[in-house]
Amino acid sequence: MPEQPPYDSEGAVAGTGMGGAMDLAASEATTLERAPGGPEGPQGPEGPGGREDAEGAGPAAGRPRSLWSDAWRDLRRNPVFVVSALVILFLVVIAVWPSLIASGNPLTCDLARAQDGPAPGHPFGFDGQGCDVYTRTVYGARASVTVGVCATLGVALLGSVLGGLAGFFGGTWDGFLSRITDIFFAIPVVLGGLVLLSVVPGNTVWPVVGFIVLLGWPQISRIARGSVITAKQHDYVQAARALGASNSRILLRHIAPNAVAPVIVVATIALGTYIALEATLSYLGVGLKPPSVSWGIDISAASPYIRNAPHALLWPAGALAITVLAFIMLGDAVRDALDPKLR
Amino acid sequence: MGRYVVRRLLQMVPVFIGATLLIFLMVNVMGDPVAGLCGERQCDPATAAQLKREFGLDRPLWQQYATYMGNVFAGNFGTAFNGQPVTELMASAFPVTIRLTVVAVLFEIVIGIVLGVMTGLRRGRPVDTSVLVLTLVVISVPTFVTGLLLQLLLGVKWGWIKPSVSPAAAFGELIVPGLVLASVSLAYVTRLTRTSIAENRRSDYVRTAVAKGLPRHRVVTRHLLRNSLIPVVTFIGTDIGALMGGAIVTERIFNIHGVGYQLYQGILRQNTQTVVGFVTVLVLVFLVANLLVDLLYAVLDPRIRYA
Amino acid sequence: MLLEVRDLRVEFRARDGVAHAVNGVTCQVDAGETLAVLGESGSGKSVTAQTVMGILDTPPGRITGGEILFRGQDLLKLKEDERRRIRGAEMAMIFQDALSALNPVLTVGDQLGEMFVVHLGTSRKDARARAVELMDRVRIPAAAQRVRDYPHQFSGGMRQRIMIAMALALEPALVIADEPTTALDVTVQAQVMDLLAELQREYRMGLVLITHDLGVVADVADRIAVMYAGRIVESAPVHDLYKAPAHPYTRGLLDSIPRLDLKGRELYAIKGLPPSLTRIPPGCAFHPRCPMARDVCRTDPPPLYEVDEQRGSACHFWRECLDG
Repeated sequence: MPEQPPYDSEGAVAGTGMGGAMDLAASEATTLERAPGGPEGPQGPEGPGGREDAEGAGPAAGRPRSLWSDAWRDLRRNPVFVVSALVILFLVVIAVWPSLIASGNPLTCDLARAQDGPAPGHPFGFDGQGCDVYTRTVYGARASVTVGVCATLGVALLGSVLGGLAGFFGGTWDGFLSRITDIFFAIPVVLGGLVLLSVVPGNTVWPVVGFIVLLGWPQISRIARGSVITAKQHDYVQAARALGASNSRILLRHIAPNAVAPVIVVATIALGTYIALEATLSYLGVGLKPPSVSWGIDISAASPYIRNAPHALLWPAGALAITVLAFIMLGDAVRDALDPKLR
Repeated sequence: MGRYVVRRLLQMVPVFIGATLLIFLMVNVMGDPVAGLCGERQCDPATAAQLKREFGLDRPLWQQYATYMGNVFAGNFGTAFNGQPVTELMASAFPVTIRLTVVAVLFEIVIGIVLGVMTGLRRGRPVDTSVLVLTLVVISVPTFVTGLLLQLLLGVKWGWIKPSVSPAAAFGELIVPGLVLASVSLAYVTRLTRTSIAENRRSDYVRTAVAKGLPRHRVVTRHLLRNSLIPVVTFIGTDIGALMGGAIVTERIFNIHGVGYQLYQGILRQNTQTVVGFVTVLVLVFLVANLLVDLLYAVLDPRIRYA
Repeated sequence: MLLEVRDLRVEFRARDGVAHAVNGVTCQVDAGETLAVLGESGSGKSVTAQTVMGILDTPPGRITGGEILFRGQDLLKLKEDERRRIRGAEMAMIFQDALSALNPVLTVGDQLGEMFVVHLGTSRKDARARAVELMDRVRIPAAAQRVRDYPHQFSGGMRQRIMIAMALALEPALVIADEPTTALDVTVQAQVMDLLAELQREYRMGLVLITHDLGVVADVADRIAVMYAGRIVESAPVHDLYKAPAHPYTRGLLDSIPRLDLKGRELYAIKGLPPSLTRIPPGCAFHPRCPMARDVCRTDPPPLYEVDEQRGSACHFWRECLDG
């Protein structure tokens, strides 16, 4: 590896094969890692006797507050956070109880009404098979939310445990893990999904979730490894070590709380990208398959009729875009709130 | 420098083997490699067994993989489902995808960097905020939705472009597909440039440049841009591999007969040789692009020394 | 008079209100004179310097009043382009941390030569030759070879010499040095300071030396201006000030220097902390920390009283202070 004092040529910019959105997530986390995220909160960017800025003298009178309560106070006042959180809450609710707002059955279709526009009781019109677009769009949330949440949980757990341990212990295990992550990064993600899912039988969300966990964990593990290494170098961790604290105690009490912020941010943004990935795979015909109801399937099914019935494509596409946007915005807002540099 | 390149090349070997083996296993173990060979029908057991022997599929997996890779390095990528050598498919598909990627990268460089510089210099102003929101929207809308929408608007509704690209796939026809392929990365390049510019704009050396009495355009182009574009250039470099691999969606929407199209056909027909062959080349492209980016990095930033 | 700053005021919009960084600074520097500006971090000395140079970030900064007369001309009334021509050519600045103040991806030769290319229209080749001369001038060994090196390839002291060379390239009439030696090792500090003082005498420049190091000041400065909470609280010739300070804050600063002859005694420290610039106390800003504070200090901000022709003190009780 290059000797690299000023930049980290590995993590910050290296492409991930997951496309720009994942890179966005990764880079957002990297800026968090660099920040002095100690429990005593922000410290001035300059050392003693440094440059004086207007801010330089400001926090002198500030009370020590925890990073998290500070962030929470900021978040509640951030309209972007509030709106995206409400959107996500709404999505989760209709994913669990779709019948709350859609009384019909998404699988009841009437070929006679295929490609029809909006009608009373059917505000979004009908798709190419004569199914009610509104009902299908509402029911489609379930697949997306399930895949997003399950895949993110799996990725976050697997990735942060493996990456955290590798970052903490270093050495051979770390080198080995780095090579493994390199292998996964070298496989273009849509391609991998296409190859793997085309040979896996079954029509549930689980193969999709499994695939995303399989290809997604290296991302988080790299982030977790980086932030654990950063946290490890903090003086108070060295002090705890000097006082004879055990490895597990240092890792759990001192490092984990400080390394977890970047992981949370990346995971939130990643959740959005996983939902998009599921839809993409379903669009390509290898994710979920009919009779499952998913936005990707509906968009794929509507694309041949795009000329006559664009509404059948636009509604699920809009729902998908808003969902992904909500998660990315949420992650972005959380990141801003957790970044001490911005306050 | 030479030693570093050699070491990086050696490091690439296990990654290359790992990635191709993974794909090889996925296709061979989980799928049925002979399924596609008898056309649309199911193979009868006798033919299947004979085919398996013919392709060496009855031998242990590692041997199959070794034989396959041996053939690949001898230039023999096997035969596609329609009897054409895979190399011929590659010869027709790769130029198309490379053209598409070039268009996409040009979009990233021109639009992404220009927008990024514009917003980075005007942080917090209305232009900045609106571009920032726009980039998030673009990132949030999956590529296939962007593609279908642009196809609907430009191709079907307004008739500015032909909805599908002809087999020749000239540069002119690839402008909209290239934009679609680039869209997410484009938005990311904008954000990356913006952050980088905004960060460096407050740096000490830019302040020094101003204190030296340099004109504003010189401060921006010579001092600010030169430093700020280092991460952007490296991102675009690594993105090339991802773009070529990710072109599968764009190519399907606009019916472009490139790498993605051939791969998709290969997967549909379960043709191992096509799939593994194309993936092998894509992985190689990705690895080489990454190596080149690392070397470029040292050229752009004199502080980096490779030993 | 080379430089005359009159009642300069600068504020910053911060998240928690408006920070008053500079609140009516008045000072002057003559050709060939060295003025040391002394103060803690956050006292407004760097902001004042940046405002004079015209490199203040606006926003968040905002100049709300005052004049900066350079050779009788008010710089704040000039157009940006006219201002730019003065920067670097007639007044230059030396920054604290040369490693971050020099562009990491350009050779030092490029960065030095740029001064000649931009201000004098010199060809690139001649500019390179002038850069080598400059590096010789600040005693960088093997200048002809090192001109192609990048900033990170030099030691801290050498980098600061390059910084000085860059500031002196066009022989400006005024140089502002913002803590030029703070980032250096103690052994190197003296060398760099000596070089700066020597060049200043040679070119007869006006030098504004911003520092919080009283030791540096005593050696090189002609006059001292002490800043507190964005104001100059005392201004005096260096020897007068060391002999008998006319402001309790200056007295506190002098008393807090460790002295060999008082070894073993507890070191004096001014009680309390400098005020937040968003909440500067009414009256005299120093009164919460002042051992001599009385009621009037809490309500009436002291003007800069004239102690004698050359001295001023912003303390209602400067006489008592002067008498000890």
